[in-house]
Amino acid sequence: MIWPKFKDWIDERYDIAELKKLAKSKLIPQHRYDFLYYTGGITLFLFILQFITGMLLAFYYIPHIDFAYESIIDIVTKINMGWFFRSLHHWGAQLCIVFVFIHLFGTLLVKSYRKPRELLWVTGFILLVISIFFGLSGYLMLWDERAFAAVRVATGGAGALPFVGSFIKIFLRGGVDVSGDTLTRFYAFHVSILPLLSLLLIGLHLLFVQYHGMSTPVSLEKKEHKEEPFFPNVFYKDMMIWLVVLGVVVTLAILLPPEIGKKANALAPPPEGIKPEWYFLFLLETLKLFPGIIWGFNGETIAIVCVSIGIFFFFLIPFLDRKSSRGEKSPIFTIIAVVYLLYFITMTLVGFLS
Amino acid sequence: MKIKLFLQIIISLLSFPLVPFRVRRRESGSFKFQNSILSLCLFWVALFFFVIKPLAFAEEKIPVFPSTPVEAYTIYASLAVFWLAIIGLIVIIKMKLNEIDRIQKLGIDKEDNEAPLLD
Repeated sequence: MIWPKFKDWIDERYDIAELKKLAKSKLIPQHRYDFLYYTGGITLFLFILQFITGMLLAFYYIPHIDFAYESIIDIVTKINMGWFFRSLHHWGAQLCIVFVFIHLFGTLLVKSYRKPRELLWVTGFILLVISIFFGLSGYLMLWDERAFAAVRVATGGAGALPFVGSFIKIFLRGGVDVSGDTLTRFYAFHVSILPLLSLLLIGLHLLFVQYHGMSTPVSLEKKEHKEEPFFPNVFYKDMMIWLVVLGVVVTLAILLPPEIGKKANALAPPPEGIKPEWYFLFLLETLKLFPGIIWGFNGETIAIVCVSIGIFFFFLIPFLDRKSSRGEKSPIFTIIAVVYLLYFITMTLVGFLS
Repeated sequence: MKIKLFLQIIISLLSFPLVPFRVRRRESGSFKFQNSILSLCLFWVALFFFVIKPLAFAEEKIPVFPSTPVEAYTIYASLAVFWLAIIGLIVIIKMKLNEIDRIQKLGIDKEDNEAPLLD
């Protein structure tokens, strides 16, 4: 009895039928690469999951150098289901970054970035950077020796950039070394600045997707292909995939809860065999390739500059790939995309196995 | 892990000083004395490496998962039920999707503008 009345109440105020019509009019192309359309949806779902679990953890987490570690132990050992939500947050973050990368390389390989979707690429790329910074800032929240050493290395690496490096390092650390100020700053980034930025960018990204519609690969653009309405067909398929992803995250959270190391100590040496999070491994392995001194210059600075140039070129691909923007095939950029992908996978594996 | 523990127990037991005495009753006195010293050393070494050292230098691990068997059983059973629920929901959504596809193929989901209005 309440539901029809509520529906009428809404119908009187908002044109729901028009919204439904709009959702039904949105058509999604069907082709052999259409599975890539779902990677964006999965990433969005994982972002939502991160927001929910993050809010629950924030109820109990204390962002202070003396209590951060203890509060995490309390969450895991004393709070009802605390261990589960922490584990869910951890695995949600890992899978979120995995799917951001899959979405990114999928976009790159089928050239969905081409004109007029350059801004979609730009917003997506910034979202990737934000996701990685989310990971780094969240990692420090634990305040154990591994997190401490990883953040020291990461912020130290940023400090090797010429001209702006020392400013970035001091800005991130809130001082000369990683300390309680760093924890406060990273907490502020993790729970307020980055979520706000990511909400804004996700909104923009979705707005651009709705505005331009779904892209089709260059090779299939001129061929005839089937289309299906977003609502209800693709919407229901999205629901099914999201359910499976939720099942996977929950299973990982239960079977492989993340460990907690010793409390961070600024004066203690870093633990042996320390490795950063998996998405930083390719950067670390790249830095290892460079010798300490190259032609009298600092090798680390040269390495960081080379990596930055590589990432900047990657970011500029939609603006450099003129052929695909004209609707022509551009094999050079396909090769470049494959090289980037192979390099990323290989160096991550090398870093993981070494 | 269990095999390692079993071997550690066997080595510790065999190196206990009383065992050689009983096994080697027929050996001469000097041999007995040497054996007892040797087995005593072996026993203390085994005790140190297999019992004292792991206890003394073990890193205190923080339990990140409920440790009681009842809780663990409840969690794994809940996970199985959760997956069953997910599979059930997927089956229902798939049936719904098939029905939508059937209606769309028949073309009866589209509004017929020429249909006569009924008052």
